[in-house]
Amino acid sequence: MRVGMKSQVSFDDLVACPGCDWLHYRQRLSTGEYARCARCGDIMETRKPHTVDRALAASVAGVVFLMLSLFLPFLSLSRAGVASQISVLDAIEALWLSHFRWLGVVTLGLIVLLPMLRLVLLVWVLLRVRLALPVATHMRTAFRWAIDLEPWAMADIFMIGVAVSLVKISSVAQLEVGLAFWSLLGLIGASVLINLVLCKDTVWKLLTGLD
Amino acid sequence: METSDWVGLSAREVGLARCPACGSLHRLSIAGKCRRCGHSVSSRRKHSLQRTWAFLIVGLLCYVPANHYPIMITHSLTGNTSDTILSGIFALLDSGSWGVAIVIFVASICIPVTKFIVIGGLALSLHLHWAMSEHARHRLHTLTELIGRWSMVDVFVVAVLAALIQLGAILTITPGVGINAFAASVVFTMLAAGSLDSRLIWDQLATTETGSLIKPDEADAA
Repeated sequence: MRVGMKSQVSFDDLVACPGCDWLHYRQRLSTGEYARCARCGDIMETRKPHTVDRALAASVAGVVFLMLSLFLPFLSLSRAGVASQISVLDAIEALWLSHFRWLGVVTLGLIVLLPMLRLVLLVWVLLRVRLALPVATHMRTAFRWAIDLEPWAMADIFMIGVAVSLVKISSVAQLEVGLAFWSLLGLIGASVLINLVLCKDTVWKLLTGLD
Repeated sequence: METSDWVGLSAREVGLARCPACGSLHRLSIAGKCRRCGHSVSSRRKHSLQRTWAFLIVGLLCYVPANHYPIMITHSLTGNTSDTILSGIFALLDSGSWGVAIVIFVASICIPVTKFIVIGGLALSLHLHWAMSEHARHRLHTLTELIGRWSMVDVFVVAVLAALIQLGAILTITPGVGINAFAASVVFTMLAAGSLDSRLIWDQLATTETGSLIKPDEADAA
């Protein structure tokens, strides 16, 4: 504990807990360590190893999986000799053409546009950091957006919905899952990986020039 | 006051504000845009409670038609059937799909109702200064933020079925108006959970502590 520090010392030596605002001395974390708030227990700071490389790899994988899942056949259905095969985009188009446009827009946004935006922002920011290109102001905005978008990217929930749909209509029609189905599972895997390996604090330090 | 005296107080009590994006600290008096990342800095989320109430009430209002009107209509050779959220769950139970029925029941009934009660309760506890454990409330708040998005399952089920089952007169599924209201309800309750600033829960502790200086149990110990 550094007692008797002068008041002109910058408050960069302090951290406030994001969950409860309690002030702590900033600890020098070693790789793999994290700091928890002494009061509410929320994680205040992390330092994950090789975060830029790993998160970049997972984000690129996510973009690839998402692109594949859009165009490959997603589900095929047959009943009484009538067969149909759809991709994710076909499904959204079908909703758009029905008078439930709004549902199509919500689905498009939550499982295609927002996840894609989040992944592309992450790839852009992390790639520039990785290549040691100068930090642009937009990168900070982009990274903030990528973080804020996380709960709104709902590919994982969509897959639960798909599984439920499969069970619901298994009695009336024959259904088969296509490559896009597995590709979306890959996207979920990539999203989980991003959450595991992405160290926001480390990236913020790189983006703000703080050590 | 020296910075060493500040540890063990909240940032707000010593006149500091944490940037919600990058976490750097700023003086409240000159807080505007974060000097590091450019995000606007404020000590607490602005109008946190008002926004929470507004989103929560809209979410609750949407949940009523969501349950009353059908979310899915099945047209087949044998006639049309329309399902509400609840009747859909019962239909699943009848067909013996217990697992799926439970998934839908949890996602469409349990989670939204839990969220209404918990978010409303947390907001009330802040207004009325309930003497409730901060830790418990903090955990409840984290929980509401985590579970909210899973309610969307039913929306995707209807979207997938409506897009896929288009076999003309044999079998066609169309969405019902209820699903619009349900999706809106989920989005608004997610916004409500996101608007509630968990630090408000702990502020109450700070004001009571500084207000009475020594808490009764500490006075006993001394």
